Amino acid sequence: MSVKHAILGLLAKGPLHGYELKGGFEELAPTTELNVGQVYMTLDRLSRDRLVTYEVVNQAERPDKKVYALTEEGRKELKEWLATPSAIDLNLRNETFLKLMLARRLRGADPLKVLAVERRACFERLHEVAQAQARAEQEGIAVHSRLLLDLAALRLDAFLKWLDHCEDTLKKEGKR
Amino acid sequence: MTGTTAHQATAGNGAFVIEVEGLQKSFGAGDNRVAALRGVSFRVARGEFVAIMGPSGSGKSTLLHLIGGLDTPTAGSVRISGQDVGAFTDDQLTLLRRRQIGFVFQAFNLLDVLTAEENVALPLILDGVAEGEAQRRAAAAVELVGLAGRRRHFPRELSGGEQQRLAIARALVTEPLLLLADEPTGNLDSATSAQIMSVLRDLVDRRGQTILMVTHDARHAALANRLLRLRDGQLAEEQHLAPASRSPSRVLEDLETLP
Repeated sequence: MSVKHAILGLLAKGPLHGYELKGGFEELAPTTELNVGQVYMTLDRLSRDRLVTYEVVNQAERPDKKVYALTEEGRKELKEWLATPSAIDLNLRNETFLKLMLARRLRGADPLKVLAVERRACFERLHEVAQAQARAEQEGIAVHSRLLLDLAALRLDAFLKWLDHCEDTLKKEGKR
Repeated sequence: MTGTTAHQATAGNGAFVIEVEGLQKSFGAGDNRVAALRGVSFRVARGEFVAIMGPSGSGKSTLLHLIGGLDTPTAGSVRISGQDVGAFTDDQLTLLRRRQIGFVFQAFNLLDVLTAEENVALPLILDGVAEGEAQRRAAAAVELVGLAGRRRHFPRELSGGEQQRLAIARALVTEPLLLLADEPTGNLDSATSAQIMSVLRDLVDRRGQTILMVTHDARHAALANRLLRLRDGQLAEEQHLAPASRSPSRVLEDLETLP
């Protein structure tokens, strides 16, 4: 997750101060925690690289605050980032895979049992996501939250299909 | 209708809507004999939402047809609210299908010449319910699936999702004890499927509707409270799923630890 580009994107619509950026980020990416320290660290780096500028606003009863704005260079960087494909995280060497491979080698371990346990856990997770989707459908939910739930459901579904595929493959191998 | 209600009330004394015992079904004869079901047993309690999954050819649809009285088993028994369907006469079977079981299939099977509401009222009219009452109950069922604004439309004027919702309304209009759904989203795109599944889940949550659904889509099966996995005509696995305890936004916050 590029906090740097998220901040550039949030500033593209107009100047904001640090706390507004933190709030805006959490709305953009509800699954990612971001602390204020990270926001200011990123802003420092962005202003060092001249992608943002800031103006100090004096406040009567509270400490001064910095209001950040996008520079022309920052706008260019954001545009390029939007047009560049993202790194795809396929998470291929997951723990399930490791367990499965070890279960094939270890005496007394059964890869089919590993698959059954993983499938149940995966289904429980999908059950939770599917219920959230159904509730979102009934009650209405912001489209960006909806799309994240959909991504989770599709990934879990793909993982379940892969578990089924592993079972079929290992059973065929066992028959040979 | 009073007849149906009274019947359901007495039938409701049994805690289980469905009791399947040692169910077997074979097709063909001699060398061509194929066993679709090889001894399946399970029970479904009132208000449960049970999904049946399994690869194609595992016997899912055969099982649903036997429970719905659309076909007869080779061996074993099906009880609907305690009554042995195998002992039913043809007339009793017709009444069972007409009053106690609602069917939803992949194909919507709506009549083109009837309006949305008339399609939904049809099972009641066929059962001899007076027209005024049939119309009133059809309107309520149409509203239940969120199609109140489409009552006077013809099926061809409705989207696929709306047609399937209408088919669900038709299945529910008789207030059946049991709703049987065979791949109810098989003909629909994913966004529309999600709406249909949401309607089914809502029926369980708010009306205590008992549903048995066959699906090959894990995302839809995951909405049920119990999952039965069929493999080669046998029950390979059973899984109970806990009801939702967390809000959609809480679920969202914890999504990152995906497998």
